[in-house]
Formats: sequence, C-alpha cells, structure tokens
Amino acid sequence: MDVDAVFGAAQVARTERFERFHYVLWVLSQIALFAVLAIYARRGVAFVRESAAGPIGTGMLLGMLGIAIAWLVRIPFRVVAHWWNRRYDQTDLDYLEWIAEDWAILAAGFVSLCLALLVVMGLARWLGEWWWLPGAGVFVGIAALFTFAFPYLDFGTTQPLEAPALVAAADEYERELGLPDISLRVEEVSDYTDSANAYAVGFGPSRRVVFWDTLLMEPFSEDEQKSILGHELAHHAKRHLAKGLAWFVIFAVPGAWILMRATRGRGGMGRAEAVPLALIVVAVFQLAAAPAQNAISRRMEAEADWTTLELARDPDALEGVMVDLSRSSLGDPDPPGWVQLVLGTHPALADRVAMAEAWATREP
Amino acid sequence: MAVPSSERPIRLLLTDGSLERSRLTVFFRLILVIPHVIWLVLWGIATFFVSFVLWLAVLINREAPRSLHDFVAGYLRYATHVGAYILLAADPYPGFRGRPGYPVDLEIDPPVEQSRWSGFFRLFLALPALILAAALGGGLAFSSPGGASSATTEENAIYVATIGGVASIVAFFAWFAILARGREPRGFRDLTAFALSYSAQAWGYLLLLTPRYPTSDPALAEPWSGLPEHPVRIAVTGGLEHSRLTVFFRLLLAIPHLIWLLLWGVAVFFALVAAWFAALVTGRVPMALHRFLAAYLRYGVHVSAYVYLVGRRFPGFTGRAGSYDVDPEIDPPAPQNRWKTLFRFFLAVPALFVAGALGGVLLVVAFFGWWYALVTGRMPEGFRNLGASCLRYSTQTYAYFLLLTDRYPFASPILHGRREDVVEEIAAPPLGDAL
Repeated sequence: MDVDAVFGAAQVARTERFERFHYVLWVLSQIALFAVLAIYARRGVAFVRESAAGPIGTGMLLGMLGIAIAWLVRIPFRVVAHWWNRRYDQTDLDYLEWIAEDWAILAAGFVSLCLALLVVMGLARWLGEWWWLPGAGVFVGIAALFTFAFPYLDFGTTQPLEAPALVAAADEYERELGLPDISLRVEEVSDYTDSANAYAVGFGPSRRVVFWDTLLMEPFSEDEQKSILGHELAHHAKRHLAKGLAWFVIFAVPGAWILMRATRGRGGMGRAEAVPLALIVVAVFQLAAAPAQNAISRRMEAEADWTTLELARDPDALEGVMVDLSRSSLGDPDPPGWVQLVLGTHPALADRVAMAEAWATREP
Repeated sequence: MAVPSSERPIRLLLTDGSLERSRLTVFFRLILVIPHVIWLVLWGIATFFVSFVLWLAVLINREAPRSLHDFVAGYLRYATHVGAYILLAADPYPGFRGRPGYPVDLEIDPPVEQSRWSGFFRLFLALPALILAAALGGGLAFSSPGGASSATTEENAIYVATIGGVASIVAFFAWFAILARGREPRGFRDLTAFALSYSAQAWGYLLLLTPRYPTSDPALAEPWSGLPEHPVRIAVTGGLEHSRLTVFFRLLLAIPHLIWLLLWGVAVFFALVAAWFAALVTGRVPMALHRFLAAYLRYGVHVSAYVYLVGRRFPGFTGRAGSYDVDPEIDPPAPQNRWKTLFRFFLAVPALFVAGALGGVLLVVAFFGWWYALVTGRMPEGFRNLGASCLRYSTQTYAYFLLLTDRYPFASPILHGRREDVVEEIAAPPLGDAL
C-alpha cells in the first residue's frame, strides 16, 4: 500500500516528525526510569528510618517514595512532551493545569500501589512464599472488579449520546451482533484537545461505549462515526474485555511468581525492605511482557475492525477514519517495527487501511 | 533547644495574675476602646513616618537612633496594652502613653547593630511572621482594606482590633464566660497573651526594633502560664530533622492514611453513639469502646502531625500508644458527669471553634515549615512546638467530643512545665475553660 497516497505525503511527514520526537523521549525516559529504580532498589531501604509504621505500612511508604522518585526524574521528559503536544495542538492544557492533572495521576498511583502492597505483603506475611498463588488471584479479582465498576466511576464526565443516526445504527448493530442495549456515552474533551478517541468499557450490565466529543465533529463524517461505533460494539460482542482479563491471569501468575523469587534475598515480600527491589522487578517484567500484551491487543483490535467492516460494509468509511485519526491525533500511519513491538496496542493505521482494502477486494 | 523568653529582645510581661474581670467594662469593651483605637491610628501614622526614617538610619548606620527606637517601642507597647484590653487579657483601662506598668506589658531591649541586608529586605523577611501573627490574631492586623500585601500603607492601622485569628475567637467566647462568671478562663488568657507576645515580636522585627527573628515556641509562655493535670496529654519526642523527599511529597504520602481515617471514622460514629448511651446510663464509657475511640483519636493525631510536619516519620495505621513522635497520652476511662454527657455535643462547640482557629495556625506553620524543611532538611523548633501545641488542644477537644473524658480542653499554649500555684488555681473551676 502506498502510505503517502492514502494519507498524503505532507501529513505522513508531519506525523512522523511528531511521533519521532515522542519515541526519543520515551526511550530516554525509560532509561532514566530504570536507572533511578536500580539505584532505589539498592539504597531505598534507608528510608525505613522515616517510618514509625509496621512492616506493611513501611512497605507502603517505600513503595510510594520509589514511585515519587521515578516521577520526579521523569518530570523533564514529561514537560518537554507536553510542550511538544502543545506545539502540535494535541493539547490546550496550560502548564499549571497539566501539573495539577499530573499530581492527581500520581496520587491515584499511590493509592493503587498501597492497595497492591497491602494485598501482596499481607498475603506474604500470612502464607510465606506461597503468597504468589492467591496473590495473582486477588489481582485478577481486583482487575475484574475494576473493569466492571469503571463505567460507574466517571463522576459525571460523560453524557448520553444523543445523535439520532448513531443511536439508530447502534440498535441495528446490536441486533446483528446479538448484544443487548449498550449504553452510549459522550465525553467532553474538546476544550483541551483536538485528539479523537472512543473506547468500550465494562462487562455484563456495566457495558458502555464512550465517544470523545472530538469524534462527533469535523472531520469525522457520519459514516465514519458509524464505523467507529461498530468497532467498539465489536469489542463487547467478541468479549474482548473478558478475554483481556483471561490473558491477565496468564501474565499475573508468572509475574507474581517471579516477584516472589526475585525478592527472596531481601526476606520476601512480607518485609518492607523487599519493596524497593520489587518496584524494579515489576517495571522490568512489564517492559518484557509488553510485546506479548501488545500483540494480543492488536489482534483484538484487528478483529474489531473486521467485525465493523462486516457490519457497516463500508470500507471507505473505515479508511476515512484512519486518515482522519492520523490528522487529528497525529498517529504515525506506519511506525517503526520496534515501536509497534513495545508500544503498539493497535495495528498501524496503514495496516488497518490495508485490511479495509482487503475486505473490499474480497467482497466488492 | 528552645530559647528562654528572658533572652528575647522583645518580651511579654504578665504582671497581674488576676483573672477577675469587671462584667460592666467587659460588656461595653468594644465601645470603651474606641478612643484608644482613634489614638492608635493617629500614633500609627506618626510611627509609619518615624519607622521609615529609622529604616534609612539602619541602612546607613546599621543601628537605630535611640530616640526613634524609643518612639516606635512606645507605640508597640501601647498597642499591646490596647490589644490586651480588647482581647480581654487584661482588665484595667490602659493609659494613652504606652508607659510600662500595664498588667500585660512589653519589655523591649535598647537598639543593637543590625545587618543592612536584613534591614533592606525586612518587609519581605517579616511576611511569614506577620502572617502567622495574623493567624494567631494577637491584636495585630491585616485589618485594613489594603490587605496583607500592603504593610507600608496599613501601618496606620496596626494594632487595631483584628477580625479573625485565634485570639479573636478566644475573646469572643471569653466575653460570654466573663459575663457569666466574672473571671476569664485561665487557658484563654494565656493563649491570648501568647498571641500578643508573638505579634509584638513580629511587628517589632518589621519595625526594626530588633534584628532577631520572632520565635513561635510556646515555651515563651512558660513564665506566666501553666498546665493543669488533664486526662489527655501529648508527648513530643521526635527530632527536627526531616527527609526532604518525604517533606516534598508529604500530602500525597498521607493519602492512604486519610482514606483509612475516613473508613475508620465510619465505625467510630457508631461506637460514639453506643458510648454516649452507655455513659448516660452507667456514668462511664465501657473499656472496650474507650480503647477503640482512643486508638482512633491517637491515630488521627499521628496522621495530623505527619501531614502538618509536626511529626517526622510515617505513622503506623493502628494508632498504637507510644508508636509515634507526637503521641497523645489518654488516661483509662473514668466516671463522667451525666449532665455533661447529655449535652456534650453542644458543650464542645466553643472548643471546636477554638480548635478550628488553631487549625488555621497549624496550616500556616505547615506551609512555611514545608518550605523551610525543604531547603534545610529541618523543621524550626518554634514551628514544631507551636504545631504540637495546636495539636494538643485539638486532641483534648476531640477527646472531650468523643467521650474519652469529661474534662474540658485547656487552651494554654505551653506543652509542658507547670507551676504548682497555677495548677491549684486552674484546677478550681469545675468546667475549666467551659462556659
């Protein structure tokens, strides 16, 4: 496929320029992250003296401090990335708003980390080295609970979708896919970004499809919006979220076992002293598992694309979506292989266009 | 180690220990003080110009001329007299010349050599102290419409009665207490005197009477204040050194504690209701409930101390006694007066207001302490001790509210050290600081 012909040579050059900068930043940021986590794994134990809490409380403190240091070290990269995004109109957030948002994300990270450490350290103190088996189960349970409850936690940030054509299309698609009535929502993001996105969340009665309001504006046509709708409903129809949880089990069990083995030298995860080491072990495991996880994700996205082609029978619309996404979100149509390997949760835009063209060729 | 008050260049003298107040003059206090306020404003205008000359003199000669120094010192002394009168810390009508001898008085050392740099930037250097003085509300004020940022234009309004601040809240409740009993609660008087003492230091520093930065250490109040025996005390054992990293992220690090405090608080609500009924019926709170409520209170104090940088280390999650640098000591359950139990939540209202105002002080302490500790890796001892003092009062207030004791909180700012005569005098009134 001729990428320049489909996306426009100037646009391709622009997205490449935009993305290349982010790739470099990502690599540098990862190097800084692992360097600081390695140092913290060796020296972080000294912070034990800053705690009057018991082993689990002290472990929480050490975990939070590790995350905090990693956050501090990566601030310059994130500031530069934000500057770059502003330069390319990918965000209108000013630096103060961005900092406030970044602090909120860090705070949420602290809470999640403390919950995880409470589970792991509590089980490790109770069950010794066998904590990893029920521990992985608890994490899967928490992930399932979160996936189910997430749609209810939008705190009023979404509104019901009211576009009649899309609602009618949703009814038709749901009937064809054998789905019950799925809630369609709109999230307002156009105040601070031109980027476009949509996502499927929840399972069972909490299933939803959420559109960013930028997707409901120009340049996305009504046919393109229907194509995106079909894609998101396909995620629900093909049970991708439940399958994602099943995959999570496959990664969580060995991940927990590796964590147990790696921290044995520090007395195991029941001891606060093991937490600084655990942070880098988890970070390395996540990076190592990313190619496999991304491959699974790309497979599911491709399946959703194919399903929407079957539903809407409009390959031009899907191709239009990809071209418009490249323009609005500055996605590189044909990113380097290594980027797809470690960061690519979706097929490359060029591949998705190629799939639409292949479908059209197969079913003229 | 805290600096003894006798070594400070500006010292508060409390020469009259009497707490008796004339109900008539207290009732009309705000009206009676009007001539003083007018005179204070006029004198303040003159002081503004004099202090400008004094500022130039310090920049040129590094030392204030004695005559100018005495003029400004006289004004500061007079303002303290008027502040004490308005805030009910003293009873006699003050003279208009600011002469020594008033029951709440100032002693100010003669002029000394000062650094030109410190003199040049005095207004900026004094800002944290002035903000803390405003939070304490010791008769000083950012009360002019110009606000805190225009100290030069508001010097004519210096020492006009303040609205807000701890001393004003205390004076409000003291007014009712005096009208009812004819005497001011000892803790209230001591707290107001401390606020006046700190404010005098802050303004003395701004007006170039001294190059010594004000100290907020409640130990300043020890010569004239005391602590009665109380079933709820606070022990401060930790050092002043802080890890800069934990200081920088202090609020975020406290998030797990705040969540746990909230969840535990739900259980405490039901325990409190049960304890209230039990205390009404049996005259005392059952041991198990007392322990549960005490652990919650202790935990809350540990977390507050950590958040406000009074405590150094990350606290535990159980509120175990003796486990933290700033630790409440709570006596076992004792018989409680059923009437006080019945009306506990109403009786606690004044103390809750005072505790709220002290919370404002704690916030100021934490804010400036945060910057200081971030730069030096250390919390100023005065800030730490003032923070602990605020926490002590809050602890006693919430212990009273949570039915852990029926002794009313005592407002004196000092953390420890007491004189026997003071103890006896304080122990006499059955309701302590209560109305």
